[in-house]
Amino acid sequence: MLFDLEISVYLKALWETAYMTIASTVFVFLLGLIWGALLYATDQDGLWEHPQLHKIISILTSALRSIPFLILIVLLIPFTRILVGTILGPTAALPALIVGATPFYARIVEIALHETGSDLKETGLSFGATKLQVLLRIIIPESLPALIRGITVTAIAIAGYTSIAGAIGAGGLGNLAYLYGYARNRIFVTIASTVLIALFILFLQIIGDLFVRKTTPK
Amino acid sequence: MIQVQNVSKQYRNTDNEIALDNISISFNEGFIHGIIGISGAGKSTLIRLINRLETYDSGDIQVFEYTNLRRLNKESTRMLRKRIGMIFQSDHLLARKTVIENILLPITFHRKPTPEDYDYAESLLKEVGLTEYSNRYPSQLSGGQRQRVGIARALINKPELILCDEPTSALDVITTGQILQLIKNLAKKHHLNVIIVTHDMHVIKEICDTVTVMEKGHIVESGTLDDILFKAKHPQTRIFIREIGLDLSNIIQSHDPNQLLLLKFDESVVEQSIIAKMINELHIDTSIVYANVTPNKKGIMVLQVPSQQESVIHFLRDHKVVVEHVI
Ligand SMILES: Nc1ncnc2c1ncn2[C@@H]1O[C@H](COP(=O)(O)OP(=O)(O)OP(=O)(O)O)[C@@H](O)[C@H]1O
Ligand SMILES: [Mg+2]
Repeated sequence: MLFDLEISVYLKALWETAYMTIASTVFVFLLGLIWGALLYATDQDGLWEHPQLHKIISILTSALRSIPFLILIVLLIPFTRILVGTILGPTAALPALIVGATPFYARIVEIALHETGSDLKETGLSFGATKLQVLLRIIIPESLPALIRGITVTAIAIAGYTSIAGAIGAGGLGNLAYLYGYARNRIFVTIASTVLIALFILFLQIIGDLFVRKTTPK
Repeated sequence: MIQVQNVSKQYRNTDNEIALDNISISFNEGFIHGIIGISGAGKSTLIRLINRLETYDSGDIQVFEYTNLRRLNKESTRMLRKRIGMIFQSDHLLARKTVIENILLPITFHRKPTPEDYDYAESLLKEVGLTEYSNRYPSQLSGGQRQRVGIARALINKPELILCDEPTSALDVITTGQILQLIKNLAKKHHLNVIIVTHDMHVIKEICDTVTVMEKGHIVESGTLDDILFKAKHPQTRIFIREIGLDLSNIIQSHDPNQLLLLKFDESVVEQSIIAKMINELHIDTSIVYANVTPNKKGIMVLQVPSQQESVIHFLRDHKVVVEHVI
């Protein structure tokens, strides 16, 4: 057999990786945007300065980010079981992927909004905009290219995480590389899976760049 | 129009340096007011109090019919800001919106722009000389053009007052001149009151009617342009005036001030060679210590008159010359 395994096995694994990555990226984008906006807004020079609240959210963000992904999966097992009904399969990997990547993206959002906000906050306010209008109609839309660049980086990181999740039962290319390639000592499967992951990541980058170009005026 | 009374302001997150120290000043309607001072003097802080981008610790500010600005509620603050346009040092345009969308932006915070709003935005664009550019993005414009868009945007809500925080600091000399001229023309046409903050005396002399000089959170001197240019006392003011080569005080200091008269006159007077005429008629001994043309095209001259001052003053006043003692 040319690929050592049925082609459909690779396709199924690729699909699982894509599904895990894209589904969690969608959630991470939304949650991270809200979280990051909160980080920005409560910070010094933010729209609703609130040092104590900022400190709490900030520490929480850093704490979550510092948990190694493998441990995060284990920690979330009870939660995942309640939410998804099982701890196996691609969908069961989503909670850990989302919880792991959201704080990462939130920091990127925070930085992007600060950057835009430093000039445009006052501009908006001086023309009589409400703070909410400044956030939703000026700062976030103006930050869009940076937010998209950020979510691209995040999606690529998530694609990397999926292979860790895969190794402990979530399926996908990581699972394939580990279970067939490593555990059964079939090196070609490992190489093929790696190439597929690399291609998938390249695909994410290209899509991301495309959106950045679309949202940046020439 | 604006009354600032005994206002003090200190930024909380800094170590005890006071940004504004018991400031009182009023800005009257119908003028272009200049505020000049070196970096950190408190100029930006002062004008940002006027549209309530900053609050103050004590004192009182009144703008239009709004008294005690510190206590203004959110809704009134928005209404106040709607009546005040602001122009920034860098243009602060939205990069992802076109020129025309940028100009209409201030309207969108209050209502949906109507076709009339679009027409008005286009007419403003024409007034700032950018008719062809309405669908471009800011990145496709030069710095001077972007600043023009910023000016049009500041006018879209038909404000009564325009605050400019160093509107030309990022521009070259020639573009600066053009932008200042534009502000001056628009101010006249739209009956705008203007307050312009700068650290460049050229800006002041180019378009301002009144000048306020600030230093370390204080107002050190304030008056009409001529007052400041020719009767400045404070060393800081004199440094600024020297910058544009109009520092009279050095000349005055090297003479007996009691013998000096300050003359101001229009172009029409310049052509009559009255000084020669006066010397002929009065047979007096006088010398011209200083002569120049002021920014607003008035002649300015300092005469040394050791004797017969009264008759000199009388003669000159008869010939429509404004005469003042230098001290
Ligand atoms: N947001 C801020 N937080 C803390 N301190 C500030 C803030 N803005 C200004 N200051 C301080 O207040 C003082 C006055 O600053 P301000 O910006 O009003 O000066 P300026 O005259 O406009 O100077 P420049 O010509 O550099 O713009 C300075 O000492 C400055 O450090
Ligand atoms: Mg300033």
